[in-house]
Amino acid sequence: MSNQNTKTGKHIAKNIFGTLAIPVLVALVLEAICLSQGKNIITNLTSFNNFVIYTAITMITTMALSINLNSGRFDFSLGSMALLSSVISAKLTYAILGGSTGSAIVMLVICIVAGAIIGLISGILYVSLKLPPIITSLGVTLIFEGVIYTITGGKYVMAEVQNKSMASFGGTWIYACVLIVLVLAFTILVFDHTKFGYDYNALKNGQKVAVNTGVKEIANAVICYAICGALMGIVGFLNTVRNTNINGGQLNFTSIGIMFTAFLPMFIGGYISRFSNEKLGFFLAALCMSMLNSTFAVFSNKVNASMQSIINAVLLVVFLIYLNNEGLLQKIFKPVKKQPKKELE
Amino acid sequence: MKKKIVKVLAVLLAIAVVVGTFAACSSKSSNDGEEKAPTQETVKIGVLVADVSGEEALSFRNYYENYIAKNYPVELIYTEKLEDAAGEKAAIEKFASQGCKAIISLSSSDRALQIETCEANKLYYAVASGMLDDEQYEQYKANEYFVGQIGPSMMTEYQAGYDMGKYFADKGVKSIAMYGAFIPNPMHVYRAAGVIAGIGATYGGASDMGAIVGQIFGDQGVDLSKVQANGVEIVSYFQGYSDTTTDELNAAIQANPDAFISVGMATTFFAQQLNTAGIEYSDIDSFTSTNGDLMKDGKLVYLVGKYSSSIGPIFAAVLDTVNGNAIKDADGNAISISQDYLVATSSEDFTKLQSLDSVENPIFNKEVLDTVIGEVSYDDFKAFVEKDRV
Repeated sequence: MSNQNTKTGKHIAKNIFGTLAIPVLVALVLEAICLSQGKNIITNLTSFNNFVIYTAITMITTMALSINLNSGRFDFSLGSMALLSSVISAKLTYAILGGSTGSAIVMLVICIVAGAIIGLISGILYVSLKLPPIITSLGVTLIFEGVIYTITGGKYVMAEVQNKSMASFGGTWIYACVLIVLVLAFTILVFDHTKFGYDYNALKNGQKVAVNTGVKEIANAVICYAICGALMGIVGFLNTVRNTNINGGQLNFTSIGIMFTAFLPMFIGGYISRFSNEKLGFFLAALCMSMLNSTFAVFSNKVNASMQSIINAVLLVVFLIYLNNEGLLQKIFKPVKKQPKKELE
Repeated sequence: MKKKIVKVLAVLLAIAVVVGTFAACSSKSSNDGEEKAPTQETVKIGVLVADVSGEEALSFRNYYENYIAKNYPVELIYTEKLEDAAGEKAAIEKFASQGCKAIISLSSSDRALQIETCEANKLYYAVASGMLDDEQYEQYKANEYFVGQIGPSMMTEYQAGYDMGKYFADKGVKSIAMYGAFIPNPMHVYRAAGVIAGIGATYGGASDMGAIVGQIFGDQGVDLSKVQANGVEIVSYFQGYSDTTTDELNAAIQANPDAFISVGMATTFFAQQLNTAGIEYSDIDSFTSTNGDLMKDGKLVYLVGKYSSSIGPIFAAVLDTVNGNAIKDADGNAISISQDYLVATSSEDFTKLQSLDSVENPIFNKEVLDTVIGEVSYDDFKAFVEKDRV
């Protein structure tokens, strides 16, 4: 009995260590780098607000990306969904409230609804056309970008989103923190504790077997797209709060950039999920990315934007190299056990 | 199956093309809405625009569309946002095919190429609210298609930046963050050089305009390692506007500067964040109501600006040229006249200056402009532009 307890205790300790290893290591390394220049990752309340908002944006984008990508559906249209939902909601909210009190919360709600509808349209197109998802998503991206351009005339959406309500939403970390908690709770609940989630996981792990056992893959895929859309609606809203404008002139796949920020955290989150819940992994990975972003802010005079992009890309490649060669590394660093002579004989 | 895929792809492409075409036509159609009275022959003028969202750009457009186009037999056709020299060239060629007689340029990626393209297409060309650098002006001043340039000279731009920097230095600030807007755009380079000199700093050891400007052109931006502070430190610098700008602005705010000095576009892009962060800032923009609100309720404490109808005289010069009354100086060269900026350091200043110029009653209204539309000498025109009307 005590042996089993020890084993369980070791297992829990291993999981806790595995879950927290990367975020703690990242925090220590980055803080050490900042301290070497006499600074900290978080310098004041403003930087903490930025830190939490960036964490929320990265975490939610990563979740939206992983939902379809884990099922083999590469969706390029995530960025355009975020932009289109935010443009629609900004225009509607301004038409209703004219930038007065409550604009932020109304815009957030409309963003989520618009995002879900846009995602639903994208999903229905995917299942109807029966084309490879990568091709469908490219076409959908072009269409959504064209619609955004038509609505905005290629201009930045500014007057509609620059008001006291939006400023107060971005002026504190609390709202972004609440969004992180709500999205985490929602995704864990839906994907880990409902019939839809069980079906999703079954399809993810073996589509043919799942379909043969009666799982409705089309309905599941369409709902996934709708959820992705809703999540990207939140991202669109948070990006609007952060940038205080929406770029309405993004044509020819320029909206795809929004999605690419989520690749590194998705792989890091996937690694952490070996030891704990996948969604929690995405949150911790987003924390790591946000710490990196804040460190870049500390060194902004020395590390310019293009250098930051290169560092991000190098980190992604290094992490992928590690993931692909994990077995080899274990072989190299694990001590070789001598086999008993008897067995050899 | 393959055929089906091809068909569906074709449909998707067709939809993308149709949506794109609608998008491209949307703003143009809005300009075409107003029909001119058929009594006079309408002159088509193309307007090159690099900025379609900024406060200054919108106010200029508002004046041309809602005052000039209603009072003169002209059709003003605008480009979409022009981002590079190739876009400017393509736009001029398109205007030529649409029957335009002249081009007014508010875009400055490559003005030399603009003039050459206009010449190739036999279009008159004028620079509004800006100027070529001296070398370029010398090269093109005798070109028969170059109408001229009216706007702040590079010296005026430098002085505007200098005064802005000095304002904060005199106020006692110890640290600033600086936004270089769209360097290497010449006017932004000169303004940035002025700010550096205005706060008492040197750049690469130099303190005179020519040397600082030359180095900033060479660096394609402000290299903080070359700034030697003398009382006011530049703790953060960034320029341009892209996906990374918000991060750069956040970094600048996190550096906790006493003030934020912008050489253009800050009121358009960063007003909300700077107001929220409680950082006093300055900008070179225009006297619009939005900027008035920022001065009254926000943290905008110093505004250098042009008034909307300041682009009226260049329109008059273009119309004169198209009608065969080209204005040339004594040597037969294109006009080149500098306009000064206005400065407001309080809401009261702003209100006073703004009240002088509106779309309903602009400083350069029809009555005023009509005095130089027709035959007019260079000297009279120069005196007309330079007359203090504020």
